[in-house]
Amino acid sequence: MSAATGTALFLSDENLGNLVAEIIAAGRRLVAPARDPQAAVGGSADYRYISSAAELAFGDSLPRMSLKGFFLPQSEVLFKWHRKGADVEIEAVPTEFPPQIVLGARPCDTAALEIVDQVMDWGLRDELWFGRRNATTIFNLSCPVEDASCFCHAVDLNPDATRAADGMLTPVPGGYLVESCTEKGAALVEGHKALFESGDTGAAAERSAAAAQYRAAARAKVAADLQIDTTRIKEWVGDHFDDEFWTALGPRCNGCAACASVCPTCHCFDIVDEPEGVGHGARRRNWDTCQTGVFTLHASGHNPRADQNSRFRQRVNHKFFIYPSRFGEVLCTGCGRCSRVCPEGQDLAEVLACIDELARA
Amino acid sequence: MKELRDLTRKLLADGDAGVVIGWEEGRRGARPAFITTPDDADKLIFDARCVHNLANYLNPRKPQVKALGKPAVVVKGCDAKAVAGLLREAQLTRDRVILIGVRCGGVVQTPEMPAELTEATVATRCYGCDVREPKLVDHLVGDARPEPPVTAALDRRIAELDALSPRERWQFWTSQLAKCTRCHACRQACPLCHCERCITDKTQPQWIESSSHLRGNFAWHLTRAQHLAGRCVGCGECERACPVGIPLSLINRKLQLVVKDLFDYTVTDDPEVPAPIGAYAVDDKQEFIE
Amino acid sequence: MAATDTPMKPDGFHPRITAFVCNWCTYTGADLAGTSRLQMASNVRIIRLPCTGRIDHMFIVKAFERGADGVIVSGCHPADCHYTAGNYHARRRFGVFRELMDFMGIDPQRVTFSWVSASEGAKWKDVVNETVARVAELGPFDAYHELAGDTVTGGEPAPGPFEAASGAETPDPLEELEVGR
Ligand code: SF4
Ligand code: SF4
Ligand code: SF4
Ligand code: SF4
Ligand code: SF4
Repeated sequence: MSAATGTALFLSDENLGNLVAEIIAAGRRLVAPARDPQAAVGGSADYRYISSAAELAFGDSLPRMSLKGFFLPQSEVLFKWHRKGADVEIEAVPTEFPPQIVLGARPCDTAALEIVDQVMDWGLRDELWFGRRNATTIFNLSCPVEDASCFCHAVDLNPDATRAADGMLTPVPGGYLVESCTEKGAALVEGHKALFESGDTGAAAERSAAAAQYRAAARAKVAADLQIDTTRIKEWVGDHFDDEFWTALGPRCNGCAACASVCPTCHCFDIVDEPEGVGHGARRRNWDTCQTGVFTLHASGHNPRADQNSRFRQRVNHKFFIYPSRFGEVLCTGCGRCSRVCPEGQDLAEVLACIDELARA
Repeated sequence: MKELRDLTRKLLADGDAGVVIGWEEGRRGARPAFITTPDDADKLIFDARCVHNLANYLNPRKPQVKALGKPAVVVKGCDAKAVAGLLREAQLTRDRVILIGVRCGGVVQTPEMPAELTEATVATRCYGCDVREPKLVDHLVGDARPEPPVTAALDRRIAELDALSPRERWQFWTSQLAKCTRCHACRQACPLCHCERCITDKTQPQWIESSSHLRGNFAWHLTRAQHLAGRCVGCGECERACPVGIPLSLINRKLQLVVKDLFDYTVTDDPEVPAPIGAYAVDDKQEFIE
Repeated sequence: MAATDTPMKPDGFHPRITAFVCNWCTYTGADLAGTSRLQMASNVRIIRLPCTGRIDHMFIVKAFERGADGVIVSGCHPADCHYTAGNYHARRRFGVFRELMDFMGIDPQRVTFSWVSASEGAKWKDVVNETVARVAELGPFDAYHELAGDTVTGGEPAPGPFEAASGAETPDPLEELEVGR
């Protein structure tokens, strides 16, 4: 995808810390991969609001959850109601959000936001989603590639993609090469100008070379694994709704929905009304997913997706047939989180490879 | 391994079983395998990475497994306890399942880890294991394995929490439960969470809010724990399935200790022994009642 | 039911107590306390159920969610259950649940379990007064009441229930609602 534009600047490790401090001192909210200070056991990094540079964990493994919770929270209030005598008063929630900055997002997480934008602006514009989108400036971390479950290259991305990002950091010895690719990104750099070393010092050429090498190595690493064609897959999935392929895959899945929780592109939600006491309450929307039985359960008791075979098929269908049919691109950024989190060893990359194989035959 | 594979071939070829559920090599370590033809029997493996509690697939909420025919399931001793739970609670009858016991030398914490058992890698559930040679079986395979290097880390952590004030414990649990997304993976992964319709999925009335705010999360976790009290076999599958790493084993183990203390009950692989909740004794402890 | 001055803290905190009682023993005992004009705190709202065996731990959870500062669960003495064994089952469940609450950081002092028979009006009075006094001492259970608040979870920071303002008099929800009165 689009390479970062704008001149590359250098941000030393020390100045990264200063940047974090300045952003926080300016009262802006800052999200970055960080360790849970309270985690009971070791704890992998997650995207978190941080309050000091010491919490940063850029070098850690891929954050366990994707970035989506910062745009589509697990649970959020849509409006509140108050009963006043015989009337009901509706209290709206704000759709403007204070600015927030994300540092060190993985390219697959950032790109997912733009993919999901399409459904969030489909007929009806989701003001809460776009309110948060507009308020956020995102700088990616050029990705070192996690492991063999990554397949961003197979879905039109790559480890240094800047789709939907405002800029990108690429690790080089002693710090990061920083490129901005939108006005928002440029404004962030401009606001902290003193921390960035310009591109015309002697070390600059060396750093560019190091960055190029880093990216090339990552690209080679991810491309070594899965070779699939999503167009072919889309056709096969669309034509083989009743194939016994799905029956063979389903039994392993226990319906835990962990895959959908961690997925940057899964975006389905449920809407519930919850009383907070007598006479007032809130309407909320909460994450929901096709991997659970109640997702499709009718009031009559009938469930059109009665078993896990059909639920897993739905997940693959929505991502690789329905979404591309409607919006022209797959609903997956190849982050591999679903395969990593699955307690039963269901592996999307493997499933796609099998489908590709069948489609080729 | 040969014994297991030969037995699998035989069970499938003779038509005694429609599917043999065991473990195979996946791209990310060991994973559940559903063997339906004798030719595939050689896919089966068993080693210390075979952590999954396959009793979960006998749980009546798995129609897709039922569709494969009569199951023969490979069980470690702890998995057999979960099978006993399903039998005890009339979710399964003994003639509807073939149990292939494997002699176990302990398992590691996740199927992706190397199969080397050390104090740092062994699963907490192996602590105090009394069923390394499962008894509730139709076939028993594999050689006896050495005892795993067990660790009481979980019990130590519980003792630490017990030593705190209620407010400090509250702070610990609010910080943990704030992460919960209410995906209910913990329930789905649990062989004993077999309810056709879980209480948290019910909306009329809605006892447990489905929103993942702390209020809904506390209601969920108190209920999940209470429902599993005296039934949980301590397999740790709930904790392993949790995508946000909530230490559910602390709660499960705590209640195992409570049930032991109050009713002198330890979860067993004998389906005839009734579970403590649902039974009673007239002289049960009642110091807490005024 | 006759009421005396509520035991309360100097700041005027009136704890709100929900009592789940069985129809046959404790409810009748509470009734007796009333008809005998025994003096007791008026902070307790009684919910009558057929049997302690019908009282689920979720009732306690729901009471806390909806603003209770303390809970009483009471029924027939052992061997007196109208349904033979409902109270024995309840005793097992609540023995476990009490420990679970404690482990999760909910002070079990907020919940009283008692056996009160139909003839023990005086004991009911004591259970009520002692519970009210104990919960008044513990203060409002804001930590639980404010768990949800306006929270958004996910990316947003987790709320800190202890940071929330406490001690403020919570309005009686029934007063807010004028409908149907
Ligand atoms: S489906 Fe899996 S690989 Fe694709 S975006 Fe979601 S979690 Fe990542
Ligand atoms: S994480 Fe795995 S077991 Fe859970 S729903 Fe997804 S595919 Fe199924
Ligand atoms: S509650 Fe957890 S540890 Fe206990 S049986 Fe269920 S999955 Fe296993
Ligand atoms: S949490 Fe309780 S109601 Fe839900 S499935 Fe488990 S045992 Fe059943
Ligand atoms: S698996 Fe974890 S995140 Fe999901 S509901 Fe259970 S505790 Fe919460």
